[in-house]
Amino acid sequence: MTTEPLLSVENLHTTFTTDAGTLTAVDGISFEIEEGETMCLVGESGSGKTVASESITRLVQSPPGEVQGTVEFRGRDIGEMDDTELREIRGGDVAHIFQNPQDALNHCYTVGWQIVEAVQSHEPNTGREAARERAVELLTEVGIANAAARLDDYPHEFSGGQKQRVMIAMALVTNPELLIADEPTTALDVTVQAQILKLLDRLQDEYGMGILFVTHDLGVVAQIADSVVVMYAGKVMERGSVLDIFEQPSHPYTRALIECLPGGERSIDGIPGTLPDPVDPPEGCRFAPRCEHAVPECRTDDHPEESPVSGDHLAACIYYKPGYDATVIHGPETDAQANATGGVTND
Amino acid sequence: MGLEWYIARRVAWAFVVTFIIISVTWGLLAASPNPQVSNAVRSAAMNGDDPAEAREIQKKRLGLDEPLTKRYVDYMVSVYTLNWGWSQTRSQPVTEAVMNGLYYTVQYSIPWTILVILISPLIGIYSAANQYSWKDHAATGFAFFGYAIPNFFFGIILLLIFGLQLGWIPITYNTDVGVFSLANARQLAIPIFVLVTGSIGGTMRVARNESAEFINADFVKTALAKGVSPFRIYARHIMRPTMVPLSTTVVGQLLALFTGASLLVEVVFSIPGLGRLLFRSILAQDTSIVLGTSLFFVFIATIGNLIQDLVYTVLDPRISFSDR
Amino acid sequence: MATDKSSRFDNVDWEAVTADSGRALSTNLLGTLLCVVPLIALLVYDFVALGQYEDTFAFVGIGYDVTQLDWLFALSLILFVFYALLPLYQNPRITRYYWREFKRNRPAVVSLAFLTFVFVVGLLGPIFISQPEIDLVTQYQPPIGMSVQNTYPVQCLGEVTSGASGQLCHGSLAHPLGTDSRGRDILVMLIYGMQVTVKIAFITSLIVITIGTAVGTVAAYSGGMIDEVLMRYVDVQQSFPTFIAYLLILYAYGGGLFLFIVLFGTFAWEGTARYVRSNALTKSEDEFMKSAELTGASTYHIITRHLIPNTASSIITILTLLVPGFILAEAQLAFLGLGDPTAPSWGQLLSTGRDALPYAPWITLMPGFLIFLTILAFNFLGDAVLDALNPEAQAESE
Repeated sequence: MTTEPLLSVENLHTTFTTDAGTLTAVDGISFEIEEGETMCLVGESGSGKTVASESITRLVQSPPGEVQGTVEFRGRDIGEMDDTELREIRGGDVAHIFQNPQDALNHCYTVGWQIVEAVQSHEPNTGREAARERAVELLTEVGIANAAARLDDYPHEFSGGQKQRVMIAMALVTNPELLIADEPTTALDVTVQAQILKLLDRLQDEYGMGILFVTHDLGVVAQIADSVVVMYAGKVMERGSVLDIFEQPSHPYTRALIECLPGGERSIDGIPGTLPDPVDPPEGCRFAPRCEHAVPECRTDDHPEESPVSGDHLAACIYYKPGYDATVIHGPETDAQANATGGVTND
Repeated sequence: MGLEWYIARRVAWAFVVTFIIISVTWGLLAASPNPQVSNAVRSAAMNGDDPAEAREIQKKRLGLDEPLTKRYVDYMVSVYTLNWGWSQTRSQPVTEAVMNGLYYTVQYSIPWTILVILISPLIGIYSAANQYSWKDHAATGFAFFGYAIPNFFFGIILLLIFGLQLGWIPITYNTDVGVFSLANARQLAIPIFVLVTGSIGGTMRVARNESAEFINADFVKTALAKGVSPFRIYARHIMRPTMVPLSTTVVGQLLALFTGASLLVEVVFSIPGLGRLLFRSILAQDTSIVLGTSLFFVFIATIGNLIQDLVYTVLDPRISFSDR
Repeated sequence: MATDKSSRFDNVDWEAVTADSGRALSTNLLGTLLCVVPLIALLVYDFVALGQYEDTFAFVGIGYDVTQLDWLFALSLILFVFYALLPLYQNPRITRYYWREFKRNRPAVVSLAFLTFVFVVGLLGPIFISQPEIDLVTQYQPPIGMSVQNTYPVQCLGEVTSGASGQLCHGSLAHPLGTDSRGRDILVMLIYGMQVTVKIAFITSLIVITIGTAVGTVAAYSGGMIDEVLMRYVDVQQSFPTFIAYLLILYAYGGGLFLFIVLFGTFAWEGTARYVRSNALTKSEDEFMKSAELTGASTYHIITRHLIPNTASSIITILTLLVPGFILAEAQLAFLGLGDPTAPSWGQLLSTGRDALPYAPWITLMPGFLIFLTILAFNFLGDAVLDALNPEAQAESE
């Protein structure tokens, strides 16, 4: 690993101006992704994870959106880039795939046309034939059978899983160093989901990409992540390696999420309560209203800063500050480990 | 069952529709008193001749004494063989009169159509891109104005201002100038402006509302994420899907105006086109021309509807032809 | 014939938007019947007992002969009161909700006020104001604030001043909007024109709603051959250029305002029929329709209580697009000199002023702007109704 991370996000804020007031979707989050690393951004829907992922290359519509904070890709500040540079980095060094493959491809153009467009956006000198050949190669690589013939098919002639493969092929056009995958498997069948995850895993090895994987599905996280950032209501709740998160979940929110997994203690009930209003968030810790361990200070103090649990494993919870007893949350060390490892497979 | 089969079926249906409409038109006129016969009877009565005899003579002359079925068959055959009869008031074959009128109608219809097709998606998408800004409101206001102001009334006002008061444009239409001359452009500028304003309103609104949907579509985000320039996103990714619903509206709007308002505009600006031909022949009670021009408009409408359906199917790749 | 129509027209039942109890319906039906029965009696009396040219109300000493148009107009007004206004009063909660949604769109509120004004003045004005009199002496009087060269009016009723181009006649209070080439007061003519406009709007709506919903529901519920034939007919009618059709029929049969209005209505219901049909087909798949069927509701009940309320909003939107088209068509025909010369419509007035345009432009401009404003108001209204009734399109009204 080099000393300089591939992507470093610092104090990212994304707000939207709405009729009801200013909506803060992402409220000062920071993270880093190393080369070739898979980082998972986890949270329930509405936690701001998608907006965070789209803020990186400034895909958020502006207005009404506004992105603040520093996003550095290989030491270059994306926020300082002009439109041309931004276009080069979008789909060049940093590629995106989205949640819903049904709508992510333009229904009026053939799949080949759309891949060729991606090629020519970054390599304007590539001829149409060369670009089409590249498209066939990529489609074959992502597992589309008979790619040359299917190049002139329209998106509606592909299944959902195939469309997501096409999206991935399109993302690979420029050998990106970072792939931002926003819930790429959520809209797909479970079997297709597994295939796509496998494909991403293989491609990551082949291309050496870093992946920022946004998901609400901890099962998927356990399968693919190297490191994990847990988000709630626009804030980071906990971060650490995938082992840290699953073996010693330290934030009450993370623990609740894990308990919600099938077979967990809360697989049916879920977490009581709802996400706070992003226009007018409650004072104190964002999760306090839904937290079973909350103490009065949680509601009166500022949102807690991230405190170390162990090493790089951090949790934004008052119990990890000096003077509080963290065992209240995860019990005696050994118990917690025994509970959490069950069902987790990690490579 | 592909595109060809669909087109074949659609064209066949267009033929059926014109056939029915022509039959209905014939029935309508056959069932009504013929003005030429009534005139003959009236003048016979005034001159002291036998009205009944005059009626028979006139009927025979016009071929109205034949049995209905024969008249119907004759009529349908002559319609489809383009043998549309003789105009008594104009002393020329009906087809010739229609062609003459068409010559002048085409001169303003083509620029009008091209302008609407070019301008309305542009304003619509521009409006959607600046949604709820003053630019959007201005465009919407313009659309509503053009839509609401009666074309002939707008024409009169503009003729009053630019023709009479300012003298920038000629008040009467000059048929002697060349088609591509500056003088012709000058005398057609206001009629074309009036028609374009009238038809842009509806189409521009459709373009705006449809493209507003696409501006927030996922595929636009995909295009943005793969580094496509904003101009190209508007020109390709948003324009293209917008054209699908827009094509229907454009053709519909143009047709409605072509078979309605353009007649009024021709009368106001005294352009000797098809519409004015129809209008004059109604006043002159020249049945053969009334029928001929009406049939021509019917053909245009049928062809327009046909084009509208075909364009729609060709533009939207998702339509499966076998369903229709 | 009238009762037959009413039973179908009650389909457009605002009240049923709330899917309320059956009691409200009976009030409406009762009121309708109470008004329609005397109307029919009067109609029968007019046709059977009186000759063609005898005044209908001669027996009470009013010298007015009710025309065919008036009968239809009266019927449409009765139905409007009992099935549009009364339901709004009966369901104050829903009414208030619609009003709140509607109020946010300011142009639409202004439009509604304007159209209500046209409706009320058009309905009542001609009762209180006598017909404009022809008086050539007072011809070409300019409106207040305008002036005309004094050579045009025979006698100037207002102030006369001398300007650079000779003597100028100014407008006066006697004729606030001026007079036309025959000395008729423009304001009075505009008010009479409002009545024609209101008649066009109401009667055509009645025809469009009646035929459109009837054909649409019959097609949807019969299916098969009947559906195919009806919808193919709709296709054919839709491809017939309407204005050309008007011209052809007028040419063949000549035309008064009654024929116009009936023509407009009968050539314009295909959009409504298509909409009602497709809505009926999708709605019959819907859960609540299924549950209605499970509880043993009759098809008639399903149609009147579920289908029609659900299509009402769209039908209203369709009407706000159609009605201005009819007003425009009447004006166009009148302008061409093919209109009904006895109908004091705006279009008629507009066309009479055309020759005097260079020196007396107000004769053309006044009715022209009124037509423009009316069509504009309908457009804004249609936009707002669409928004108010369709929560998804809410953002549009911002």
